[in-house]
Amino acid sequence: MAVPKRRKSRANTHARRSQWKAEAPQLVKTIENGKVVYSLPHRARVVEGSDGVPLYLEYKGRRVADA
Amino acid sequence: MPRPAKGPRLGGGPAHERLLLAGLASQLFEHRAITTTEAKAKRVRPLAERLVTFAKRGDLHARRRVLRTIGDKGVVHQLFTEIAPLVADRPGGYTRITKTGYRKGDNAPMAVIELVLEPVTAKRPARRAAEPAASDVAPTQASAPEVAPAAAEDESSPADVPVEATDRVEESAPVEAETATPASAEVEADAATKSDDESGKAAS
Repeated sequence: MAVPKRRKSRANTHARRSQWKAEAPQLVKTIENGKVVYSLPHRARVVEGSDGVPLYLEYKGRRVADA
Repeated sequence: MPRPAKGPRLGGGPAHERLLLAGLASQLFEHRAITTTEAKAKRVRPLAERLVTFAKRGDLHARRRVLRTIGDKGVVHQLFTEIAPLVADRPGGYTRITKTGYRKGDNAPMAVIELVLEPVTAKRPARRAAEPAASDVAPTQASAPEVAPAAAEDESSPADVPVEATDRVEESAPVEAETATPASAEVEADAATKSDDESGKAAS
């Protein structure tokens, strides 16, 4: 098994880790019943009841699967 | 015809992939819809559609060719007697893949692949339904183009715009009906508070 010969410097470690960035997902904004809803593009959306309980997955007005 | 897949086989080897896809297709015909990963759904789609094509042919040779892939005679019987008549008018495209979400354990993108068993609806009637609106606009333009500037705006945009507009009307109409009912004031209040919470979560 390969074993590192030298200790990696703190600067190198930090330089590597600084390249790891989170990026915000691109969301689609739709207005439904006067309420703004964000969802992932081309992906089914979880429909919630009035009490916030997930009911089912919906895509383009079609019920896809149970939540 | 299924296009040969590029890249590594699913499951680790060609035989494993064949068995895996055959199993997925078998389950698809048994349950009409299955949840699996996106990659597997995309790979099983051409196989499943090919088997459906054999089922539509319906003779003994086709049945034996399907049995080469799917071992379960009960599933093959279902495919030939129940599924094939439902898709008899459909010129291909027997399955629908809908991307759902990401699996909890490994964040794999998941999808639902299902058989499209609804009767075939021609796309022409929908366009004809949209056309009368456009045709109503057109004669007014022909007769009095100066009188209708709004119609001229509609003319610049293609016929897709009226279709979208009708969809929005359909969506918004039930909302107005709900708000019009007096008994739903409490429900609305609850929904308003919860919508505020959800918007706060979405913003955070």
